[in-house]
Amino acid sequence: MKVSLFITCLSDIFTANVGKDTVEVLERFGCEVDFPDTQTCCGQPAYNSGYLKNTKETMKHMMKVFRHSEYVVGPSGSCVAMLRGYADVFKDDPEWAEESKQFAAKCYELSQFLVDVLKITDVGSTFTGRVTYHPSCHMTRILGVKEAPLQLLGNVKGIDLIGLPQAEDCCGFGGTFAVKQSTISGEMVQEKADHVVETEAEYLVGGDMACLMNIGGRLSREGRNVKVVHLAEILNHR
Amino acid sequence: MMDLDNRNHFLNNLARNLGRSRRTEGVVRPKWSLNPQWDVYKDYTQDELVDVLEEQCKVIHTTFKRTDFANLEAVLTETVQGHDGKIIIAANDPRNDEYGLDSIYESWREDAVDVRLWNKKIGKENQVFAEKADIGITFSEITLAESGTVTLFNDRNNGRTISLLPRVHVVIIPKSTIVPRMTQAMRKIHEANAQGNDVSSCVSFISGPSNSADIEMNLIVGVHGPVEATYIVVDDK
Amino acid sequence: MGIRIGNPSFDKRVHEGIENEFMIESVSSAQGRFRSRKAAASEELGNWEDWRALGEEIRTHTLENIDFYLQQLSDNVVKRGGHVFFAETAEEANAYVQNVVKKKNAKKIVKSKSMVTEEIGLNKAIEEAGAEVVETDLGEWILQLDGDVPSHIVTPALHLNRDQIKETFMEKRGYDKSNTPEELGLFARQELRKDFLSADIGITGCNFAVAESGAVTFVTNEGNARLATALPDTQITVMGLERIVPTWEELDVLVSLLTRAAVGQKLTSYITSITGTRLAGEIDGPEEFHLVIVDNGRSKILGTEFQSALHCIRCAACINVCPVYRHIGGHAYGSIYPGPIGAVLTPLLDGYENHKELPYASTLCAACTEACPVKIPLHEHLIRHREIIVENGMAPTAEKAAMNGFVKWSTHPAAYKMSAKFARTALKPWTKDETITNGPGPLKNWTEQRDFPAPGRQTFRSWFKEREKGGGSK
Repeated sequence: MKVSLFITCLSDIFTANVGKDTVEVLERFGCEVDFPDTQTCCGQPAYNSGYLKNTKETMKHMMKVFRHSEYVVGPSGSCVAMLRGYADVFKDDPEWAEESKQFAAKCYELSQFLVDVLKITDVGSTFTGRVTYHPSCHMTRILGVKEAPLQLLGNVKGIDLIGLPQAEDCCGFGGTFAVKQSTISGEMVQEKADHVVETEAEYLVGGDMACLMNIGGRLSREGRNVKVVHLAEILNHR
Repeated sequence: MMDLDNRNHFLNNLARNLGRSRRTEGVVRPKWSLNPQWDVYKDYTQDELVDVLEEQCKVIHTTFKRTDFANLEAVLTETVQGHDGKIIIAANDPRNDEYGLDSIYESWREDAVDVRLWNKKIGKENQVFAEKADIGITFSEITLAESGTVTLFNDRNNGRTISLLPRVHVVIIPKSTIVPRMTQAMRKIHEANAQGNDVSSCVSFISGPSNSADIEMNLIVGVHGPVEATYIVVDDK
Repeated sequence: MGIRIGNPSFDKRVHEGIENEFMIESVSSAQGRFRSRKAAASEELGNWEDWRALGEEIRTHTLENIDFYLQQLSDNVVKRGGHVFFAETAEEANAYVQNVVKKKNAKKIVKSKSMVTEEIGLNKAIEEAGAEVVETDLGEWILQLDGDVPSHIVTPALHLNRDQIKETFMEKRGYDKSNTPEELGLFARQELRKDFLSADIGITGCNFAVAESGAVTFVTNEGNARLATALPDTQITVMGLERIVPTWEELDVLVSLLTRAAVGQKLTSYITSITGTRLAGEIDGPEEFHLVIVDNGRSKILGTEFQSALHCIRCAACINVCPVYRHIGGHAYGSIYPGPIGAVLTPLLDGYENHKELPYASTLCAACTEACPVKIPLHEHLIRHREIIVENGMAPTAEKAAMNGFVKWSTHPAAYKMSAKFARTALKPWTKDETITNGPGPLKNWTEQRDFPAPGRQTFRSWFKEREKGGGSK
């Protein structure tokens, strides 16, 4: 199966290892992974800020980049939800309506792709430690991926998976919100960090780097000894 | 009364904003694509619905009792005594006779309990009396098992305040009035309305005593309406 | 009072909210209780999604035919002896009520909780007409005594604690008992009972009117709406034009959604449907009934992409799940409609000018959209608001420049690659131990609250390229 990796700009620049792990997990299950080199960002920062007209250019660019891909898989629920959202943005655009629809249908978040397309719930990885999982908002509510990450994590050998209190609450990232409304965002991430600490987990795992960067940043600021890891890293841990 | 120019101006504006001409007739309520409300307690027997009602009474802080015709007097008397009922107002309901309430009330009066039926001839005096009353007694027309709700169609013989001003509300529930939920009651009202029967000026769906959670989200039972409620389910003859 | 409340500065209001520790604590605990009750009430049904879909379908049909249903409703109210007035503005609605107050020579008016009358500032208008108006919902009464404004659309005094309430009762009404909710509630019962018995007019809002028969329905727990409509000889019901259902059967569905979504109850203690005036021989109920149907900006929403905002049934489920609301409280929104629905509705009803921060008071986490019992896409409406703000040139210049830059960057792969490659170097001066604790420019706001990671030593794309050449390693 041919898969094009959608790395997301954040992981490209900040956490290359998440991309490496994603590639290796996909390859382990027989996927032939390529990386269209002209890909950039899904456009969400501008789209969510209300710059729809301009963002359409970014979106068109991304659709062209992945035009010939069979599947587009990325390690982020939020960014993949944005890619899928192109279909709605262009639904009345005679030139792009059809392509955006087809594009949306082939975009998957990593855990979603493993469980729904490859039908794999046990990737055969081993990870020893006390872990708690933050289900990011866009992954669960916009993309609708709730169970897949937990199914995959539940089958990791050696893992001690602890429930996160009020897990469904937003961490306060919200894209530009974290900067524009930084005080409110700070209150929110504080609450999330407190819940993480409450679990006494050694690792906080999630499927969206942006949220992890936010929560991790607060944990680090408070000197908390909790390591933040992306789902792909645990799934690729042997 | 209504100023038609006032209405036309207002409604024409709505139509204009909707980008079409005014709709004054011909709108038909569609057949809804889903009807989950009809699945609730579907196929439950009358006795199973009584059980549902009893369970729900615990949630709504309401005393549940069940009896048959023969023992209604004993149960009702015990209820009234339990609530220390000295002054009582009751609906002037055609079923008072059928259920033997007329004679029950008569026997209470002999025990110096002041029982009065709603009497349209004395006007606002009814409200004054209801305000002093310990207990108001009504019949449920339709009883909703799911929510523990009694339905009253208030009219000139069954004032709205009987179930509202007294400290305690006691409701006689003929078992045959119990339906799964509000859905069945609303259909009945809807159908009666469609047949041209005017709906009661006040339809009251009442689920237990009044309450409030306005202070720190703490439940206070009994705010403006009754502080306590008792339901008495009577098995049909 | 109207729709706008509190300090004109959004930032100041947010600050006041965050600093008010008791309020935040009580909002947070209330949210917790609301959420678990709603979850239990919706799960219990087993097919909550079907219920939501039905609710959405009913609301969509009704709003699309709102002119027809309001006509049917008003015809039926008149048939049952009522008066109907259509008010396009708050002023028109208030003037109509003032006129009734004067005609009836009313001295005392009891009122049950109603958001639309808050919105149009009716109490002030009544007082100007020379009558006393008493709020009879416990929460609203507390606020009225205290000169305060609601912070939640279902439990308006959520931000006050029992000691504050006791103080208010003592100061304003000579209360001399304890601070237990039971005793406070009993005191309110006794005080307000006197008002009910002596009132000339009862004023209510309206949860849903039933078009097919002209009924207006009140959903309450306390019973104050029942008293306000049973005892006074004149009743005035004020409703937003969208608060209507076609028939009694849809009333069932929407009331069921409302009570479960709002407070997790199967039904509230009282669901009361009043049709017209009292009938011949009836003692309770009004001999004169007025229905005031209010537009006040709602019609402008019809036919726009925001039309579904009018589907709102005022359950506050979106408010109860909103993490932003939890941390700033209701007053910070500067509107009597707080939370996500408030952030959507307020700019529509009262313009962007005074409320342009509201669409940004959200992380777009979509908890609101998921909670809404009639499936209003609240977070999407917030994005639409932001688009309008941008299109009308109301967005900050710096943001505009940044976003234009972003789009150039994300459509020019060469520029993107270049910046990705040099990001680490560029941030070097602020980086220590792979962490930035005091960042430059827009990063400053970020690092005020939390650390920022240094960009990686290698971008993913360069690793992938090397690997393809056979040189990549982990």
